[in-house]
Amino acid sequence: MRLGIAYDRLRYEEKELFNAAQKSGYNPVMVYLGELTVDLTEGQRKLKETASVVLQRCVSHVRGLHVAAAFENVGVKTVNSYKVSSLCGDKMLTSLALAKAKVPTPRTLVTFSPEQTLNALDALGYPAVIKPVVGSWGRLVTRVRDREEAMSQIEAREAAGDSMNQVYYVQEFIKRPERDLRVIVAGDEIVASIYRYQPGGDWRTNVARGGRAETAKLSGGEMETIIRAAHAVGGGVLGVDAMEGPDGLVVHEVNGTVEFRGAASVSDTNIPNKIVQYAASLVKR
Amino acid sequence: MLVECQQCGGEVAVPSDAISGEIVSCKDCGSEYEAVIGSQGTIELKSAEKVGEDWGE
Repeated sequence: MRLGIAYDRLRYEEKELFNAAQKSGYNPVMVYLGELTVDLTEGQRKLKETASVVLQRCVSHVRGLHVAAAFENVGVKTVNSYKVSSLCGDKMLTSLALAKAKVPTPRTLVTFSPEQTLNALDALGYPAVIKPVVGSWGRLVTRVRDREEAMSQIEAREAAGDSMNQVYYVQEFIKRPERDLRVIVAGDEIVASIYRYQPGGDWRTNVARGGRAETAKLSGGEMETIIRAAHAVGGGVLGVDAMEGPDGLVVHEVNGTVEFRGAASVSDTNIPNKIVQYAASLVKR
Repeated sequence: MLVECQQCGGEVAVPSDAISGEIVSCKDCGSEYEAVIGSQGTIELKSAEKVGEDWGE
């Protein structure tokens, strides 16, 4: 067994995964994309021999997708798979998968022009949330309180001229406590659950933005919703984000390259070890 | 190991167990670098990438 860790920037998580794999005797191989060449025509054998299973841990969504495709093409199991990563890397595709599986989510509308975005926001009512379809760490996730704020936001996005920002993902604002839930799932197992409390001066709860982590205990129904969300995008190692709305839990995001530093700081579970064991379980020893 | 900062000439500390792709920074000017460790243990510092629009989890 050789467990590969494909990465482009070494974070706390990749180091901990390496340590966990080493402790378990899985011969971790660090696949650093900065020094990787994939020979598409004659390099299949070399790539196949790199590892028995690969944890795809790139901070860049695009690089992660491409390296996953390369490994999968030569028959190396990749966690998460290209398909799962592509669904999780685009909020609209995630929402489509969640809706198809009837997982409760905030009401979400997608529009492609400034005028229609305003119409969509008017239909949802204010406050509402505008998110980029691609992106993470709460970047450019904006709460608009009224039509005037919405118009400013839309103008700014149009001026930026980036086509991804001109696909408007517009979501109802869920009245929730000053926290949300981050649940780390590996296969069918809930590995860790935390509340993320929004920091002072920000309504977003991302740990990357200063959100504070605290352990959370989920009810049976909540666990079932989380697992259904993980399965809806194809399963694997995932960070499911949910909010406690007036009518129960609603899932608003599924992260395909989950960061767990915040969760590890408060959880009794050895999260990297659980992830490594899950990846190893997918291949014959 | 200490490596000279390409920006200010200060010292950038690279841990002995550093792995390629690890981010290290200059304690004097704060410049961030990506450490690239060669097969013979050589250390090269590359300017760290800026956060991309597709970065995240």
